[in-house]
Amino acid sequence: MAALLEVEGLAKTFGSLRAVDGASLAVEPHSITALIGPNGSGKTTLFNLITGYLSPDSGHVRFDGRDVTGANPGRLYRRGLSRTFQQARVFPQLTVQENLTVAAGYSWAQLFGRRMSAADRERVARLLEEFRMAHVADLFASELSYGQRKLLEFAAVLMSSPKLVLLDEPTAGVNPVMIATMEQHIRERHAAGVTFLIVEHDMPVVMRLCDPVVVLDQGREIFTGPPQAVQTNPLVLDAYLGA
Amino acid sequence: MRSIPYAGQIRGVVFVAALASLPSFNLAHWSINIAVFTLMFAVMSSAWNLFGGFTGYPSLGHAAFFGIGAYTLGLWFEHHAVTTGYEPFLMLPLVGLFAGLIGVVLGAIALRTRADVFAIVTITLLFVVQTLAFNLRGLTHGAQGLALPIPPFAAATFERPFYYVLVALLAATMAITYLTMRSKLGLSLAAVRADEDKARGVGVRTLGVKLLTFSVSVGITAMVGGIWAYYESFIYPQFAIDPLITIGMVLMTFLGGRGTLWGPVIGALILETAQQTLAYELGGSEYYLIAYALVFLLVMLLMPQGIVPSIQSVVRRRRRRAVVDAPGPPPSASSSDRTDVLTRDAVVVEGPR
Ligand SMILES: Nc1ncnc2c1ncn2[C@@H]1O[C@H](COP(=O)(O)OP(=O)(O)O)[C@@H](O)[C@H]1O
Ligand SMILES: [Mg+2]
Repeated sequence: MAALLEVEGLAKTFGSLRAVDGASLAVEPHSITALIGPNGSGKTTLFNLITGYLSPDSGHVRFDGRDVTGANPGRLYRRGLSRTFQQARVFPQLTVQENLTVAAGYSWAQLFGRRMSAADRERVARLLEEFRMAHVADLFASELSYGQRKLLEFAAVLMSSPKLVLLDEPTAGVNPVMIATMEQHIRERHAAGVTFLIVEHDMPVVMRLCDPVVVLDQGREIFTGPPQAVQTNPLVLDAYLGA
Repeated sequence: MRSIPYAGQIRGVVFVAALASLPSFNLAHWSINIAVFTLMFAVMSSAWNLFGGFTGYPSLGHAAFFGIGAYTLGLWFEHHAVTTGYEPFLMLPLVGLFAGLIGVVLGAIALRTRADVFAIVTITLLFVVQTLAFNLRGLTHGAQGLALPIPPFAAATFERPFYYVLVALLAATMAITYLTMRSKLGLSLAAVRADEDKARGVGVRTLGVKLLTFSVSVGITAMVGGIWAYYESFIYPQFAIDPLITIGMVLMTFLGGRGTLWGPVIGALILETAQQTLAYELGGSEYYLIAYALVFLLVMLLMPQGIVPSIQSVVRRRRRRAVVDAPGPPPSASSSDRTDVLTRDAVVVEGPR
């Protein structure tokens, strides 16, 4: 089967720093692929290149059978490629419901429809039910805890019914209960047919959730394989121990 | 809490009806003249707010479009006769459309920048347009100024047609603002204001919604420019394209409250009447500008969010106390009047009130 996302020889330099240096990887449909690597190895930059937030110096990105190198983030989003940010980004001055509604990827004509239609409310209510956030529906996003904001950001990018979701450190900076919650929501959505590419530092989470695992070091992938093989691979150990 | 249905609409209709009945009190010419200028600024700050208030983009170039409107109307009636006196008013929609189209073109360039850079780009635009008005003498007559037809209205009620047209334009602008806030367009603009890059990434058509509101905003501003030019009958580049007009629009919107329906109108009512009255009282001296600045500074120091948002948050806090004091079970967090958020100080862009 053709990969849902293919990244080929992607490169990006900032001044003299090669943040991403010829990285290649493939995400198979219905997988939960992990992207791990030491701090500064270029994971977030790679996400920015894939989702159109940065344009690469060289290399290609193919999504769902099309070349989408350097496409704009909004178009990719509407085509089914969503991402979250390492530092959760929600709209603080909008309510939780509005945060979800605004992310539905609506058409030009819908712009002139109601701010929140009955159909929006219904859809949002279902999603909030799934994420057990119905009790905060009318709060402003600025009033949520950091963990809840991460959850909200994740829920919001599901509004476009994406095929592939890129999560940048979904469990970083949140409490253990929230980690379990996040993990469960990823599993549920995966079971419903969504493919994931996840940057994750928490190795137990990676071992439980992901297969395969891609390891990035200095802007280039050095290993791709099943989670059990990662911790014994000498290249990976070198990268993490800085040998 | 929402016990009166259509409260917002009723408030709007009462306000417009009150404005429309004002001239029947046979006010003195100087006071109806102040009312005309106050309305001009109420329309312009509402128009500025539609773009600058909702998106957070600090446009300093709106006065350029005021001037474009003034000159467009003036130049048209250099070659067309005015008989009933109402022809220039009928031309206003075309003036707005023309300026709006220019706004689309210029906005497509300027809106690629943000924040301080956008402020500089737009104020540069203002000076470019002013320079053109001075130097395209064949067209604008430069510093000599441009004459418009004298409105053939009876002296006793000379101001009334201008006044009524401005009331209608204010009603239209407020209606557009109200509908924007209630639509997904308003929601998109709020997302742009909160975090534009994130908005882009969740499929919000950021450039499109910015361009659309910018163009409507400058189109309305140009219509006011046209009314002003006809009212004055003679226009000069330095007054038709005046940075003080932009500054007035911005200050009034900030004073009343950005991103609210009533804020810009209240800001204009306070600042423009204060300025005009002080200018009238203190005569030709420039002291009124100091008094004007003091009013502005005082209010902004006490209410940094502007008047309307500050009042809204006080009202919310009251309601919350009322709810907490009331007997019976505590309200659920998802109750529709948002009792849990009463303590918020800065309610920026949300549903209309
Ligand atoms: N916009 C930027 N400008 C300059 N350097 C950057 C920028 N973004 C990331 N970097 C640098 O690129 C390298 C890779 O960063 P990043 O992709 O955030 O790594 P990771 O997510 O794997 O921790 C780091 O050295 C970082 O400092
Ligand atoms: Mg990172």
